[in-house]
Amino acid sequence: MIPFEYHAPATVGDAVAMLAARDGAKLLAGGQSLVPALTYRLARPGVLVDINALPLADVVRTNGHVRLGALVRHHVLEESPDVRRWCPLLAEAVAYVGNARVRTLGTLGGSLAHADPAAELPVAMVALDARFAAVGAAGSREIPAGEFFRAPLTTALAADEILTAVDVPVTRGAGTAFVELARRPGDFPLVSVAAVVAVDRAGRVADARVVFGGLAGAPQRSAPAEDALRGHEPTPERIAAAAHAARRALRPETDVFASGAYRAHLAEVLARRALRTATNRALTVEVR
Amino acid sequence: MSGAPDRPDLIGQRIPRHDARDKVTATIAYAADWAMPGMLHAVVVRSPYPSAQIRRLDAARASAMPGVVAILTAKDVPHNTLATDVPGQTTTVGPLRAHLHVLAEDRVRYQGEPVALVAAETLEQARAAAEAVEVDYEPLPGVFDTATALAPGAPRVHEAGNLLAEWRIARGDVAAALAGAAVVIDGEYETSFVDSGYIEPEAGVAWIDGDGVVTIRLATQVIEHYRDVAEVLGVPQNRVRVIGTYVGGGFGGKEDVTVEVYLGLLAWKTRRPVKMVWTRQESLLSRAKRHPYRLRYRTGASRSGEIVAQQVEIVGDSGAYAYLSALVLLYSTVTAAGPYRVPNVAVHARVAYTNNPPTSAMRGFGAMQVVFGYESQMDRVGAALGLDPVHVREVNALRRGDTLPVGQVIETHVALPVLARRAWDSLGEPTPPRAPHVRVGRGLACNLQPYGRIVWLHDWSSAWVGFEMDGSLVVRCGAPDVGGGQASSLCQIAAGVLGVPLARVSVHISDSALTPLSGTTTASRQLYMSGNATLKAARELREQVLGVAASMLGVAAIELDLVEGEVRARDGRTLALKDVLAGCARASVPRSRLAVYHAPAGEPIGFMKVGGPDMAPHTPQTLAHGPAEPGRGSGKVFPDYTFGAHAAEVEVDTETGVVRILKYVAAHDVGRAINPTSVEGQIQGGVVQGLGYGLLEEVLLDEGVNQTTSFASYLIPAAGDVPDVQPIVCESGEGLGPYGARGIGEPPIGPPAAAIANAIAAATGARLARLPMTGERVLRALGALDGKDG
Amino acid sequence: MIVRFTLNGRPREVETEPHRTLLDVLRDTLGQLEAKEGCAEGACGACTVLLDGRPASSCLTLVPLVEGRRVTTVRGLERDGRLHPLQESFVAHGAVQCGFCTPGVLLTALWYVEKNPGADREQIRQALGGNLCRCTGYTKIVDAIEAWSRRATAEAGP
Repeated sequence: MIPFEYHAPATVGDAVAMLAARDGAKLLAGGQSLVPALTYRLARPGVLVDINALPLADVVRTNGHVRLGALVRHHVLEESPDVRRWCPLLAEAVAYVGNARVRTLGTLGGSLAHADPAAELPVAMVALDARFAAVGAAGSREIPAGEFFRAPLTTALAADEILTAVDVPVTRGAGTAFVELARRPGDFPLVSVAAVVAVDRAGRVADARVVFGGLAGAPQRSAPAEDALRGHEPTPERIAAAAHAARRALRPETDVFASGAYRAHLAEVLARRALRTATNRALTVEVR
Repeated sequence: MSGAPDRPDLIGQRIPRHDARDKVTATIAYAADWAMPGMLHAVVVRSPYPSAQIRRLDAARASAMPGVVAILTAKDVPHNTLATDVPGQTTTVGPLRAHLHVLAEDRVRYQGEPVALVAAETLEQARAAAEAVEVDYEPLPGVFDTATALAPGAPRVHEAGNLLAEWRIARGDVAAALAGAAVVIDGEYETSFVDSGYIEPEAGVAWIDGDGVVTIRLATQVIEHYRDVAEVLGVPQNRVRVIGTYVGGGFGGKEDVTVEVYLGLLAWKTRRPVKMVWTRQESLLSRAKRHPYRLRYRTGASRSGEIVAQQVEIVGDSGAYAYLSALVLLYSTVTAAGPYRVPNVAVHARVAYTNNPPTSAMRGFGAMQVVFGYESQMDRVGAALGLDPVHVREVNALRRGDTLPVGQVIETHVALPVLARRAWDSLGEPTPPRAPHVRVGRGLACNLQPYGRIVWLHDWSSAWVGFEMDGSLVVRCGAPDVGGGQASSLCQIAAGVLGVPLARVSVHISDSALTPLSGTTTASRQLYMSGNATLKAARELREQVLGVAASMLGVAAIELDLVEGEVRARDGRTLALKDVLAGCARASVPRSRLAVYHAPAGEPIGFMKVGGPDMAPHTPQTLAHGPAEPGRGSGKVFPDYTFGAHAAEVEVDTETGVVRILKYVAAHDVGRAINPTSVEGQIQGGVVQGLGYGLLEEVLLDEGVNQTTSFASYLIPAAGDVPDVQPIVCESGEGLGPYGARGIGEPPIGPPAAAIANAIAAATGARLARLPMTGERVLRALGALDGKDG
Repeated sequence: MIVRFTLNGRPREVETEPHRTLLDVLRDTLGQLEAKEGCAEGACGACTVLLDGRPASSCLTLVPLVEGRRVTTVRGLERDGRLHPLQESFVAHGAVQCGFCTPGVLLTALWYVEKNPGADREQIRQALGGNLCRCTGYTKIVDAIEAWSRRATAEAGP
């Protein structure tokens, strides 16, 4: 590891000021992606701003939202009764993240801001239409999840901005499901799918969101799948047609681990499975 | 004069290993746990290119950096050529002489090839300086697969051409037998590059000890590499000492030299202690891999399922240097027809140089890849004839007295039919599929694996067993312990023979200067060889001690027994062991014994060397041999073989292609289980490596550039990926090791890939012919995916 | 910088630098060699420690993050020179071969089973997913953990 200048500010304002003042400064949260890059000398920041002392580790239920601090650790997300009850998709997705050790130190904000195209939490956040709170030298702003992820390892955050919290709308009257397939469980998936399905009193799909991970540089919403479902009864045939429609719109690339064709195939299979599970959960919610 | 026969009370006991307590408390000092005062830290500068000319190498800037003590390049190495033909052996292998440069001179042939060494006061300084070593590479065309390498006009990896070695076996008339066969099955199979993947990276510390002895403490399977270090340094062999640590996994990857030559050079040049620990990325990048094979089988069988002919073509990828490729290929050639009686056999095996990472020893050593071929073929023969998988193996299994295609007579019992039946039946009731898109099926695969080294290497091992005056026992043996319980079994054997409680035994291993040399911990040979040496030493010591006791008691030694730390006479009298040992001292009888065990030796069979008489570095060796002929050797290649049969039940998700193993049973005739817990551990561990080979593991290369240099991309099985492995330990008592033990280190890794492929075929009808059997490949075999293979 | 934490129940104060990992500090500063480096990227689990009772990769833990925390290594499991029953179980069941992964596996297993008494074999396997072992094939490791878990659950009473 190459030595760096180290700061541990106590306030968000101080942290932002440090980011603004120094080119190439990096934030340290849980370090689960950053530290290996430092160890193998792939990342060589001159300044490291450790934000672990910032008061951003709370899970708070507000009106219609769960507000998650950027420093909420994965295991807290996984075990939080509020998250399980109000945003079950997140609890389901975070259980796929890494292994027990990654979940001890890894943070929500770190995972989102790192923006690995195969990571689970960005996919779930886009599916849940979460809003990201960022603070920078120019002030605070909110960024919709759908606009946050730009490309592999690239987000809408400016160089002097810090992601401080995520507001996740509570899931009401909808069923959700997160499904993925990795070469080996615990590793980054080849494909992941998050599905959110709301069913109206007539038994028709009132709203649906289908989001894929691992297929492109950022999470991909599937309008064709959502359109195929909306307003229709979620029969197995309709779900299969939606999953197929999703696949036809996807053009995943081939890499050393899987061909684009296999990824597209998996996307359809996993979308079908996720939509079935989400629909079943939606119907159970309705019954209750 | 001889005592009553020793009673091997401890043999077959599930005794906790002597090193287990130290390992659960983490008090064992592995190679990287060692430090010396004033120690330097060293790193290797490696080529980023798989094929390039080195135009210029300038270390001036790097040498001037803070903390840098030495930077060595090829011109600083006294003798820059390293023999890699047969690690640790004291006999040569005739024409098999493989060499490489310690540090690259003007040419690099694979990504990761060592170019320079840097030693500095701190590891950070060494890494920074390594980055600052300026090397101008001119990339050259390379070859990255064997078909291209062997085609006319291919770029040459080495001057003399890309064909490294070639073996042939011809027995009977294959063409006629195939013409008359009831069924002929053609199959092509492809196996992958895989890595040993031990959790402990390569590591060591070297220093100059008293009398100028270059002393290197490292993780190795072969302490005899001290000779190689001496050759490179140009010093007498008695001026280099290798101390082997308890090793954090070897599997063949710590058989060839790793850090010892670099450490020896740096300590020699700097006169200071030096430490080198490879990173995981470096280990995955540069360590020799398992040879990927292309196998082509044509198998003929009679209507009743008897195999009448096997025609086999093998092409292996040696990567950029020879290492042990010619011998790995020999193992494949000898075992290519499997553990079966086949009257007509033709094997043609070649191994070629490419600009891929070098390949060399890995658990199973060439006898492993071919199992995927011959057992897939056996299954297809059975399916074509409508025969039960166990039946096909029973009909064809080798028996004692049969002759292998190479001409070697099988001299010990072959339990194959029993093993196959027991493994298959132990799967129990079939598991119903849990969902409509899931299919469940079962597969069987058998194998034979040599244990002990090739007989013309004249293998030997020695052990030294001695009593202290208080009756406690010391075993000294050069054998490295790589985690298989090598040292522990020696304690168990010596303690049993000499009637000493295990708690009163200590064992010193793996030191080229202070323990008698025992050869390599490879080739499933250490229990066999060093177990026999220890047994011999312990029995001879027992005779010495009982002889003295006999004089003291005035009885014949045959009247005496040595148990629980005392000598007992048949008439009821006893002598405390320490009194007998005092008696030994008075009678000038030694209280220790050094014994050497020599394996059955033989001469090379039917060797024909094709090529020049001077095997210069990197000259291809084309070797061929046929079946034994009068005057051309006995046909014996290996001392003996271990047989096994594995049965798997798998489920296949026909939508994703993902295969999950539901049940796994592995049966082996181990001859005699000295410690059943250790034997089971070898079987279970070998099986899971084999499952990784079958389903998960693959070194992925893009034009020779490794894409899988981390444990996040090179995937070895985790606990959740594999089932419980049920071992079935059969004991024929017919092995050549102590008490009839056979080698069991390597055999269990052979069958899993084939057992899974056969189970997938049973479940779905799809035949997988390429490893690893990823979800994508399974889907393609099912015809559920279009497009090019990824 | 100075970092203070508790190591195996003992308060420690180390003078170090912020670019050191907990693994560096344990091994190079404190001479606690029981945490092993297998990959330096959090993938193998050989460097596992418990951080406030939860498993963490000490190779991925920059040392400033340890300030004020409780660190447990495998050397913290023994009591009065006696092995922890889980360690005994590993010895008795032959769950140790080369031993390089063993400290990390022990700590992950301890954390998981204490949190989930009565966990079955499949759950134990899933919990160990981040601790790679290349020697044992895992069966005897699971045997050892399950046996200890059963005994501990039985001793705890209904």
